[in-house]
Amino acid sequence: MRSTHASKLTGAALLVLLSGTGCSDPLADPLPHGNASEAAPVRGGTLRLGNFGDIRTLDPAASSDQLGDEAVQLLFSGLVDFDAKGAVFTDLAEKIDRSEDGLAYTFTLRTGVRFHDGDELTADDVKRSVERSLHPDSPNPVGSFFENIAGVIEYTQRKSEHISGVTVDGRYVVTFHLLRSDATFLPLLALHALRPVCKSGGDRYSDSWAPCGTGPFKLLPGGWDRGRSLTLVRHDAYFKPDMPRLDAVTFLYNVNIVTERFKFESGEIDAIRDLTQADTVRFLADPRWKALGAYEPAREIHGESMNTEMAPFDNVEVRRAVAAAIDRDHLRLLRAANVIVSAHPVPPDVPGFNANVPTQTYDYQAALEHMKRAGYPYDPKTGEGGYPHRISYTAYKQGFSEFAAQAVQQDLAKIGIRIDIKIVSFATYLSTTHRRHVSAISPQGWSQDYPDASDFYESLFLSRSINEEDTGNTSFYKNPELDDLLDKAHHELDPQKRQASYDHAEAILRDDAPWAFTHSYRWFDVHQPYVHGLAPHATWVWDIQNTWLDRATAAISRRSVISEVSFGSLFTTREKSDR
Amino acid sequence: MLGAALVLFLVAFAWLAPLLSSHDPMISDFTNGVRPDTGTPVGPSSAFWFGADRIFRDEFVRLAFGARLSLLIGVSATAIASALGAAVGIVAGYNEGRSGFVIPWPLPIALAGGLALAVGGHSTLAIVGSLFGIVISVVAIKSQIRFLTAGVDMNFDIALMRLVDIGLSFPFLLLVMAVGSAVDRTSVGSILLVLGLTGWLGTARLVRAKTMQIRSRDFILAARGLGAGTTRILFRHILPNIAGPLIVVSTVSVAQMILAESVLSYLGVGISPPTPTWGHMLFEGQDYYAAAPWLVIAPGVAILIAVFGFNLLGEGLRDALDPRE
Repeated sequence: MRSTHASKLTGAALLVLLSGTGCSDPLADPLPHGNASEAAPVRGGTLRLGNFGDIRTLDPAASSDQLGDEAVQLLFSGLVDFDAKGAVFTDLAEKIDRSEDGLAYTFTLRTGVRFHDGDELTADDVKRSVERSLHPDSPNPVGSFFENIAGVIEYTQRKSEHISGVTVDGRYVVTFHLLRSDATFLPLLALHALRPVCKSGGDRYSDSWAPCGTGPFKLLPGGWDRGRSLTLVRHDAYFKPDMPRLDAVTFLYNVNIVTERFKFESGEIDAIRDLTQADTVRFLADPRWKALGAYEPAREIHGESMNTEMAPFDNVEVRRAVAAAIDRDHLRLLRAANVIVSAHPVPPDVPGFNANVPTQTYDYQAALEHMKRAGYPYDPKTGEGGYPHRISYTAYKQGFSEFAAQAVQQDLAKIGIRIDIKIVSFATYLSTTHRRHVSAISPQGWSQDYPDASDFYESLFLSRSINEEDTGNTSFYKNPELDDLLDKAHHELDPQKRQASYDHAEAILRDDAPWAFTHSYRWFDVHQPYVHGLAPHATWVWDIQNTWLDRATAAISRRSVISEVSFGSLFTTREKSDR
Repeated sequence: MLGAALVLFLVAFAWLAPLLSSHDPMISDFTNGVRPDTGTPVGPSSAFWFGADRIFRDEFVRLAFGARLSLLIGVSATAIASALGAAVGIVAGYNEGRSGFVIPWPLPIALAGGLALAVGGHSTLAIVGSLFGIVISVVAIKSQIRFLTAGVDMNFDIALMRLVDIGLSFPFLLLVMAVGSAVDRTSVGSILLVLGLTGWLGTARLVRAKTMQIRSRDFILAARGLGAGTTRILFRHILPNIAGPLIVVSTVSVAQMILAESVLSYLGVGISPPTPTWGHMLFEGQDYYAAAPWLVIAPGVAILIAVFGFNLLGEGLRDALDPRE
């Protein structure tokens, strides 16, 4: 019979395949570096970086993803920017004057700043760029962040020709007038969206425009091979003397993460951040490489969101039971190199995070007690009692999401909450768990739009963030006291008073438990020894502006990389946390 | 013989192996299943014979429970597919070339309308509409209302075999995946039905050919001459004569079903976790193949043995049942 013959062949092929998987090659040696000292950075060279994802646009008025923003901020400098730790500093602005009432911010620009096309930057360019980015015809995904600037709402509704709240008060002086005092104004302004663009950018977004700004790098014609690579070259007229030190940066996109690691080891890319857990463990275990790596905090939070409008999670005691029943250390062990236990609503390293506020913790006896108080006593010895109905739990098809779901399922079974895991595509997961009255409990996460606690609290827990579809508040949690606190904190300019409000808000969320907060991530980034200053950046992935290279020989860097970007496209849809 | 031995080994492994281990296939062992230095699962050892999986459960016990599931699904889905395929094949083959029967036109119209309504999400209307069409047709036939009983002249063989042709024009795995993704809740029962209801097409074609061969033999003619009815001829005379090839095809089909179930689980449209299935175990282990090769080798070899075993068994049965040898 023919099928038997075929199965013999298949069997032989499978055996060959399996026998090949057992061996794991040792990692290659780090490549040699030159003799430059850390104190005297060398100028020149091309930094080459790989990514498994891709970018869509290089226009500040349209970009909204981490990889795209990383390139956009190199092309466009802003009035203010984030340093590597996420703190705001003045960049194109020489100084900022805030009015007494906190309603007006006056920026005095540096003089002599040149765009990539040679024009000088003036206050008019700032106003024109803000209006271009917020124009109703520009597809700006973060436009709503700026509605507190006076006149923006009228402008986006086409009721006015210009934004009344942005005024030009001199050739180099521009003032932003706000509707209410706002502690998040400067961090939001430091994002890429409103950064000055050349006059060629016109008055609104256009997808045929060649990006042109005041940033340290510029794009030459042909520099962006869509879906494959992007090369940015130094802007020689950049306003900071001797910066940037690199001649160029090349990003490769759509590179399969395993291919990326091979390219890194062979010296075709200079640094890598897309390591699988298995590879992370290998690099960490190798003393030659461990010293060349650094942990990059992911600035995202994860937990189990419980729908406060659906049984049994409309009962606060059940929610508390869940928050106490999940052993977060078990979740950490599922991916020990990358998962960090954090039960705060704000990830570590984001302004507003306070490690001293007590969090939800694993306490099995307390969880059983909460179940009893909820009216669902459970006897662990007999396995009887608990919540009488099975609960559907939607997770998405991706390694860690599936594993974490099963660990949570085991923990909840121990207090008499029995969940059925349904694994669906990411799109189905989003549409199921972000719709009202559909999902009782689901794994949720939030990664920062801008480095500030308000982004996390307001997106996830304000009653205003509840929508019938595509809701941000997946717990459908409504608490007027929390709403007031968060609004107060948003407009409070005194850092201490603001922190106190957030600490209070965190305590409310801990006790009301709309989420069982569980974990965050950290990624291990490794670079070759000749790469200096390439530290993880709080907002822009990597601190490329301060990077310099010190290669031992020029030969290594001159390998043609772009022609070798090939078969990674199958993996473009991989989630970051799937690494 | 080797095939029978492999299948017996698999059955024994599925039901006896869990007795050898104290681990529960669904429960993680976060204390002994983890290597404390790296946080990765432990490899094969005396406590975990085939190592621990990505969530620190015993791979050996999970493999055995996966075997139970694979055997259950393989055998049950084949039973459904063979029964359906044999029934369709016999009816089609026996009626091949015979004059047809008339389907009164209200019936196909009502059924097509019902299908359209069902697709549109109006299931109650669809059922009511279809029932209405059936009742009208029955009334029309009973009361011999001529203009209502006129309709499509059909032949059982043509109708059924075109259906089989359409089904076979889709690659089997693609068809199974499409149906699998459309089924919302993935349980053992639903996977079994998906495989069973899509796997009968080839069997039907084979049985039809065999039936056509047998129905023209003298003993069938004799039986009919002695006054035997169609049902009696089909079940007492034709079915026993096609049993040999049916058994052979079914045995090989078990291997196909096991493979199909693994593919579905691997692609994530199979049974939901934490239920252990070989295909999903392969999926869970693949990212780790360099660090923990046992996680892909164990389910991979299990699938290999099962498919190999059933294929060899089928071949052996064919040789044993073939009267020419």
